[in-house]
Amino acid sequence: MAQIACTHCNLVFDESVMITEHPQGDVSSVPDSQTLHFCCKGCQGVYHLLGSEGLSTFYDKLGDTTLQPANQDISADLEKFDLEGFKNKYIKTTQEGLSQIHLIIEGIHCSACVWLNEKVLHKTDGVIEASINYTNNKAKVVWDPEEVKLSKIIETIRAIGYNAYPYDPSLQEERANKTKKEYYLRILVAVFGTMNIMWIAIAHYAGYFTGMQQNFKDILNVAEFILATPVLFYSGWIFFRGAYFGFKNKIVNMDTLVASGALSAYIYSIYAMISQHGEVYFDSVVMIITFVLVGKYLEVLSKKHAVDTLDSIMGSTPTEVTTLKEGVKSLVSIENVQVGDIIELKPGEKVVIDGIVTSGQGSFDESSLTGENQPIYKQKNDAILSGSLCLDSVVHYKASKDVSGSLLTSIVSLLEESITKKPHIEQLANNISGYFSNIILLIALLTFTGWYFVNGSFETALIVGISVIVIACPCALGLATPMATLVGISIAAKRGILFKEATFLETMAKSKVLALDKTGTLTEGKPSVVQAALFEGFAPALLLALVETSNHPVSKGIVRYLKQENNGLTTIQLEHIKSIEAKGIEATFKGKKLLGGNAALLQERGIAVDVTSENSLFYFALDQTLLARFELSDTIREGAKEAISNIQALGIKVMMLTGDHEQSAQKVAKAVGIEEVHAKLLPQEKSALIQNFQNKGEVVVMVGDGINDAIALAQSNIAIAMGQGADVAINVSDVVLLDEKPQSIFDAYKISRRTFTAVKENLGFSLLYNVIAVPLAVAGFVNPLIAALSMSLSSLVVVGNSMRIKMIKFKENNV
Amino acid sequence: MSENIVILMISVSTFLGALGLIALLWGVKTGQFDDQSKFIDAARYDGEEELRDAAMMQEKKEEQKKKREAKEKEKNYMPPD
Repeated sequence: MAQIACTHCNLVFDESVMITEHPQGDVSSVPDSQTLHFCCKGCQGVYHLLGSEGLSTFYDKLGDTTLQPANQDISADLEKFDLEGFKNKYIKTTQEGLSQIHLIIEGIHCSACVWLNEKVLHKTDGVIEASINYTNNKAKVVWDPEEVKLSKIIETIRAIGYNAYPYDPSLQEERANKTKKEYYLRILVAVFGTMNIMWIAIAHYAGYFTGMQQNFKDILNVAEFILATPVLFYSGWIFFRGAYFGFKNKIVNMDTLVASGALSAYIYSIYAMISQHGEVYFDSVVMIITFVLVGKYLEVLSKKHAVDTLDSIMGSTPTEVTTLKEGVKSLVSIENVQVGDIIELKPGEKVVIDGIVTSGQGSFDESSLTGENQPIYKQKNDAILSGSLCLDSVVHYKASKDVSGSLLTSIVSLLEESITKKPHIEQLANNISGYFSNIILLIALLTFTGWYFVNGSFETALIVGISVIVIACPCALGLATPMATLVGISIAAKRGILFKEATFLETMAKSKVLALDKTGTLTEGKPSVVQAALFEGFAPALLLALVETSNHPVSKGIVRYLKQENNGLTTIQLEHIKSIEAKGIEATFKGKKLLGGNAALLQERGIAVDVTSENSLFYFALDQTLLARFELSDTIREGAKEAISNIQALGIKVMMLTGDHEQSAQKVAKAVGIEEVHAKLLPQEKSALIQNFQNKGEVVVMVGDGINDAIALAQSNIAIAMGQGADVAINVSDVVLLDEKPQSIFDAYKISRRTFTAVKENLGFSLLYNVIAVPLAVAGFVNPLIAALSMSLSSLVVVGNSMRIKMIKFKENNV
Repeated sequence: MSENIVILMISVSTFLGALGLIALLWGVKTGQFDDQSKFIDAARYDGEEELRDAAMMQEKKEEQKKKREAKEKEKNYMPPD
C-alpha cells in the first residue's frame, strides 16, 4: 500500500488509514495531486480553517517540515484560563490597563509555525500585541480583557493545531535577560568610543614623533575627551557600582582597581588637556573599560544559557493536577492541592506532588532523582516522589505533602539559592588583586606626600602621584586575568563546554582529584541493545509499531536499535494496544496477537524463554511463537576509556562515586580504567567523601548529571554537569558539557590549565613591568614618551600572550 | 590645514557614527535583536502583506488607546454646577 504524507502535518502514513478528501467532490475530474489526505480529523479541521481564513500560504512556507498532528480536543479545560487564581498567578496588568501573559507554545517546528501563530493572533480582535520567540518558543501576548478572554486566545492557538500553556517568566529569566541587554548596550557604546579614540590616538602618536602644534593637539584632546566621557561613565558604570559595593563591605576588589585606575587616568588626562602640558591617556581609559567589560559579558552569557535550559525543563512540569473528590474528577492548580487529596496520574505524566499510592500499579522512571535507569514498579502503599515520571498506567495516590513541601519544589528553591550565591574561590581571587591595588594606592599616596614635602609644589606632587597609578594599574595588570580567561572561555564554549564564570578556569586548573558519577556520566544513562537474537519470521516493522506505543526506557532502547538497524520502516497501525503494568505491551494486528515484554510476561502466557543473562531482557512473540530476544544494558559512552587515561596522564587522581551496586560499578570501572570505586553511596555520602578530600587540602572536580549528584556537586570545588542532565545538576554546576562526551572533561582540564599558565605568564610579566615602571614613576622620571610606549606595549604583550591560548591542540584536530 | 577643517571633519564623522550607534541602541532596547532565528526569517517573510499586518496592529493599538481615553473622560466628567 502506498505511503502518503498528511496534507497538514506532512507525517507519512499508509494510504488506507488516511482520511481522503476531494476538493470538488467529484472524484474523476480531480487530478491526483489535488486530492487531500489527512491523518486525523484534527489535521483536517486545521487545514480547512486556515483555508477559510486566507492563510493557506502557510503551507508554502512550511515546505517539507513535519508537524505534530493537530489535537482534536480543542476545548478541553479551557475554562481554567479564566479562573481568578490563574489570573493572579500568570496575568499581569500593564499600565494602560491591558492584560499580558507569557506562554510557551507547544508544537513549533519551524519559522512558518511562528509566522502562522503570530498572524492568527494578530487577526484576533482585542489582541494588541503578540510576539513569539522562535528560539525558545516563548510568546508574549498583550490583549484587552474587555474585548477578548484569554480562553478564547488559547482556543485560537489550539484551533490551528498548537497548544499553549502559561509559564511564570520567573524573575530569574527576566533578570538574566535584562542584565544581558544592559551589558550589551554598554559594550556597544564602549566599542564605539574605543574605535574612534583609537583613530584619533593614531594622529596623536604620529604627531608626537613628527611634531605637532599645540592647537591641533588641543582639538584632538577635546575630541578624545568627548568620546571617552560616555564610555567611562556609562559603560564603566558597572565598575563604579562594584567598587562602591566593595567599599561598603570594606573589600577592595577588581572593580575598585579598574574604576580607580580608569578614573585617575581620566582626571589626569583632563588636567593635561586643560594645562596643555603632558599627554592625555583617554585611549587607555576606554581600552581597559572595553576589554574588562567584554570579559564580564561573556560570563553573563554563559549564565543565561544555564537559566534557559532550566526554564524549559521547569516549563514542562504541569501546573495543575487531576484530583478525585467523592468520585468527581476536577483539575486543580497544584498550589491548591492539600495533604490528603487523591490525585490521578496518567501515563507519561510528571509527578509534582509527593504522595502514597492508593490504587493502581505501574512503573515509574525515577532516573532524574536517583540516577537509576531501571524503572521502578510501584503498587499500593508505595511512596511516589515528585520529579519522577509515570510510565505506563493510571495510578491514584494520596498527597502526603503540599506542593511547596514536595521534593521537586524544595530542590528547585535550593538551586535558585545556589545560583545567587558566589563560591568562595572567586572571592579569594578578588582578594589577591585587592591587595595589589591597595599597595599601588598606598605607594601613590606616599609618593604624593613625599614629593609634596620635598618639593613643596602641590601640582608636581599630584602629577607624579597620579602617574604612579596610571602607569602601574590599568592596562597590563587589569587585563592579565580577564584577557586570558576571556580567550579560554570562548574556546571552551566553541567546544560545547560552558564555564559559568571565568574564575572557574583557574580553580579547575589547580585540581588534582576528579570524581565521576557512573550512570549518565560515564554511561549513556539509558538501556541500549547489546545483543539481539532474531528468529525466523521476525518482522522489525511490527515490533517497532508495538514498542513505539510505550514510554518505557527499555522500549525506547528497542526503538533506537530497530531504527538504526533498519532503514525506512513503515508505520503500521495496531489495534487493541494494551500495556501490562511493569511487564510489557500487547496488541493485535490483522487478527494476530503481538506480545512484547520481560520474561515473566511471556512465561505467564506459556511461552518458554531463556532467562540466563546479567542484562535486562526483552522478548517479542507473535501468536505464541518467540521471534526475538534482546539483551539491553546501559552502554558506556564513546571515548570514555581514552578520556580517563588522558586525564590520568595529566597526573589527576580519578575515582568513581555511584549509588549503584558494587558489581555493576566494578564492571564499568574496569571497562574505562578507573581503579578507585566507591559504590552504593547515598547522595549525602558522596558529598561527605568529597569533603574528606577537601579537608586534606585537595581541590575536587565532580562530574555528575542527576539530582542524586546535586549535593555532591554543590560540595565540590568545581561541579561539571552533563547538558542533558537533571535541571538541578545543571543549576548547581559551574561547568556544563553540552555534548556530553567524556573527552570534553579532558578538554576542559586542558583548556583551564593552558589558560591558567597564560594568566600566570601575564601576571608575571605585568608584575615585572610594574617593578620596573613604578619606581621610575615614583622617582618622577616618567616622561610622556615612556608612559605612552610602555602602556601600549605592556597591554599588547598581555593581549598577544593570551591569544596564544587559541593555538591549543585538541585530539581530533591532529588527525 | 586650518584648525577649523580638522574640527569639522572630526565632529561630522563622529556625529554620523553616533547616529548609527543611537539607531543600534534603539534597536537593541526595543527588542529587535532578541530572537536570532526570527531576525533572519524576517527577511524571508517581508512583503506587502506583512507591512499591512504591522499597520493593522498599529491601528488596533491606537484605537484601543483612544477608547481608553474616551472612557477616562467619561469617568472624570463632572456636570457643571
